[in-house]
Amino acid sequence: MLPSLSGIALQTTSSILSSINYNDLLTIMWVASFFVFFFYGTRLQTYNALREIGSGLNRLKVMKDKARKEAIDYLVNVGKAPNDPAQRVDQFLDYVTIMPVDMDPAGIVGKLDHIVNTNNDRVRTEVGALLGQSNQVTVSISENLLEVATALNQIHKIVRHFYLLGKKTNSYFTLIQLQMLMPMIIQEADALLNAVDSFKLGQPVGDGIGPVIVSRYMAGKDKRVIAKDTVLAMTEYKGRKLYVVKADGPMAYVGQPGVAIRKVVEEMGAKPTAIVMIDAALKLEGEKTGEIAEGVGAAIGGLGIEKFQIEEVATNHKVPLYAILVKQSLVEAITVMRKEIAEASDKVAQIVNRIIEEKTKEGDEVIVAGIGNTLGVAQ
Amino acid sequence: MMSPVPANDKKSKLLVYSIEECPVCGQKSKRPFVVGDYVTKEGAKCTKCSNATKVALIYAESTKPSG
Repeated sequence: MLPSLSGIALQTTSSILSSINYNDLLTIMWVASFFVFFFYGTRLQTYNALREIGSGLNRLKVMKDKARKEAIDYLVNVGKAPNDPAQRVDQFLDYVTIMPVDMDPAGIVGKLDHIVNTNNDRVRTEVGALLGQSNQVTVSISENLLEVATALNQIHKIVRHFYLLGKKTNSYFTLIQLQMLMPMIIQEADALLNAVDSFKLGQPVGDGIGPVIVSRYMAGKDKRVIAKDTVLAMTEYKGRKLYVVKADGPMAYVGQPGVAIRKVVEEMGAKPTAIVMIDAALKLEGEKTGEIAEGVGAAIGGLGIEKFQIEEVATNHKVPLYAILVKQSLVEAITVMRKEIAEASDKVAQIVNRIIEEKTKEGDEVIVAGIGNTLGVAQ
Repeated sequence: MMSPVPANDKKSKLLVYSIEECPVCGQKSKRPFVVGDYVTKEGAKCTKCSNATKVALIYAESTKPSG
């Protein structure tokens, strides 16, 4: 009787299997995997990058939707918006600010200042029109909430653009770069979303430490508006005349300290022998929250417009600029002020007094500026 | 008042307080933050000298004990 075909096949397979050494099998598998990774390694990494970026993109979408919803809820519930603001808010989120051309950089700060002012005026007018009340604190908080929602919307759009572009062109390097940046992008977006809660409740944020400190010098003194959203008070300390500048609180304003300092020097005719600036500064990893750093130069962030104006006034009039910085992370700077930051205020006030005593003499004039968002900090 | 902002470790929450300080005797008192509080706002009467206090600081503390 002849053996069946299946029987022959079974016998052959079992004889091959019994003759295979497992070490040889492992070697074959290793060599095969080497070839697979050699030829398809980038493709596998591309799939992995796409999966990770996709998951991050979903998180960003949830965040930007939440920020949008929080802004709308605030406009309706606290701002008493008479009409449904959703459509206007959506238009607002896509509004663009076109930066001036920098091929010929001479005079670019003036152009940038003009564009930024136009944008700020527009935002305030539009927010004011959306609300059913004109409470300045509510309007300023609404502006900040919409700015947060706009920032998250932009972050989501840009990440989505590079994700889809990388996917469409199968560009390994585009996707890998985006994958490497994703943790930092998510961290920044997370910080922005956390800021929403502090803004809604009108709580001072970490960035407001400068205004908190200078508000002590302004207590009980006459205040007047010196620039847009910026107030000035004059006081005395150990025989020195102090011009104290901060944004107008407790609204969520940063003001125009550059314009204010220029006006004090050039329009009010003050002859300061020192300008002392107090601001929050981003700490490096490993530095402690609330650490204080002293230095020289204009302690102010942003696009650079105010910094330019202050440096120009200080240079033209040969006034030394002294800086005091309170270290904090990005999250701490835009969310409710942490105890460590608030507790640095006494030490910073002592440093301000020491600088005034050491660097100036009786009869001198000094400008003290508290820089930062003054939400929840009046004067 | 419990703030929904997560603390640095993401597990604990932050409690926000207003610190009222008497400008005359320097007595300080700590109470939970209420919406509408701001630095320099007039606070309750000083328990020591009965003068009006002012909110000197508003800050958040983590619910998790440090150390």
